[in-house]
Amino acid sequence: MKINDIITFYDKILIIMIIIASLLMLFVPFYYSQQGDSKNLYLIIESNGEEIKRFPLENTFSEPVLFEVEGPIGIHKIEAYQGKVRVKEAPEDDPLKICEKTGWIEQQGPIIICVPNRISIWIESSDAEVDGMSW
Amino acid sequence: MIRTRKIVIIGLLVGLGLIMHFVETMLPLTAVVPGAKLGLANIVSLIGIVLFGFSGGLQIVLLRIIIGSLLAGTFMTINFYLSLSGGLISFFMMYFVYKFSKEKFSLIGISVIGAVTHNIGQIVIAYIIIENAAIFYYLPFLTLLAIPTGISVGLVCFFTVSSLPTSLTGR
Repeated sequence: MKINDIITFYDKILIIMIIIASLLMLFVPFYYSQQGDSKNLYLIIESNGEEIKRFPLENTFSEPVLFEVEGPIGIHKIEAYQGKVRVKEAPEDDPLKICEKTGWIEQQGPIIICVPNRISIWIESSDAEVDGMSW
Repeated sequence: MIRTRKIVIIGLLVGLGLIMHFVETMLPLTAVVPGAKLGLANIVSLIGIVLFGFSGGLQIVLLRIIIGSLLAGTFMTINFYLSLSGGLISFFMMYFVYKFSKEKFSLIGISVIGAVTHNIGQIVIAYIIIENAAIFYYLPFLTLLAIPTGISVGLVCFFTVSSLPTSLTGR
């Protein structure tokens, strides 16, 4: 008994409609609708594994804010402006200056690290918690 | 149908559903699209609907989901709620389509509806849990993958039901 004897006409219509609907849905950009919870974002600077500065990002929208963080090889100058943060100037003893070349970060994912000076900078949200776990 | 015979057959179908769930966890379809499953347990749901109607089918669905999650160790975790929501929504949709338009849709069409609504129900509950609208990005891939699996599940159901003795199906 071939499959054509079992499928009715309405089945074929149903399957074609589902294919068309899902192909249309492929072009809707769902990944742009992330929530901008910019009210609770904090800029966190960590030196030597300890958090030394926690700054709310909403205060950086009007004018640039400068921090100076001292580490084993020198002073880092960090600038925060309009919800973004970067390392403005790295100390002279820093051989590669990767932290300066990283440029601006403005989301919660990326992190700026200077290994010889042991400084880490990132953006965190105060209401970040685990949704659930399963394994 | 005699009551004892109904209880025995429901028990057998629930057992089959648990084994299908276990077999599914050994086939890694999650590498293609996250959350994709073969949905073999819908075979058991659909046979339950065809043989026993609303109450019997509902018993089979609830029992296989609850006992399956108890056995796999995921009883009240997110996996359980996703399974429960997907299973219940697909059961209701399959039952209504089966009852009201049996002539228009064959078992294959009903099973495709069940697979697609299973995925939709799971994604909606996942959105309610994690509150990030980007999860709907997975939905078109899941429904496209649900069509061939729905067709195969429907074929298995059709051949099973047509080879059962008529004392069971009443046809």
